[in-house]
Amino acid sequence: MAASIVHRATGVALYSGTLLLAVWVFAASQGAAFFAPVGAFLSSPFGVLILSGYVWALLFHGLNGLRHLYWDTGRGLGAATVRQTSWGVFAASIFLAIVVVAAGLAARGQG
Amino acid sequence: MTHKGTATFIAQRASAALLAPLVIWFLWGAVAHAGASYEEVRAWIAAPLNAGLMAVLILAGSLHMRIGLDEIIDDYIDSGARGVFKLLNLLASLGAAALGLWSLFVLSF
Repeated sequence: MAASIVHRATGVALYSGTLLLAVWVFAASQGAAFFAPVGAFLSSPFGVLILSGYVWALLFHGLNGLRHLYWDTGRGLGAATVRQTSWGVFAASIFLAIVVVAAGLAARGQG
Repeated sequence: MTHKGTATFIAQRASAALLAPLVIWFLWGAVAHAGASYEEVRAWIAAPLNAGLMAVLILAGSLHMRIGLDEIIDDYIDSGARGVFKLLNLLASLGAAALGLWSLFVLSF
């Protein structure tokens, strides 16, 4: 049940995040000097928090989206299965988000 | 809009299936370039394969988010105001796609 409303909430969050991403890519296209302040903001703790939220929303919406595509084939719709895959998607998305953010932070540290 | 329901239904699922591998690729690319210099990131985006994948990601993503928000608008917004919200949704999605593609073009050449 919760996965359904969270799918929508993450969808809306990704919508706003993607509008910001478009502005970010535009800033990048305007040259290194123009892009520097945006890059600095994204490296700040607040920027990392926003990026982490975006990564989790992307992973949750993506994994739950695969669940939806599987449902569209008429499978996986039993009540018990739906409950299990819902928990699975929450757990997997949180775990993978931590892995992705940690890998990003580690790579940044070396760079 | 009911006569377009099936096409919209298919477009949302087709774009979802396309986005799944592209999002993994994008996350991988982002992590691999965390801490990279501006020129390194630019060179990565400008490589033909990456620029092509990025263009598909932008197009499929903007289509997918437009259809998704339209569906939410249908569910939560009063029928009288729906048209305005859907127009804003269309403009924002087209704007994001145009800005993304234009920036990609500038970065690649």
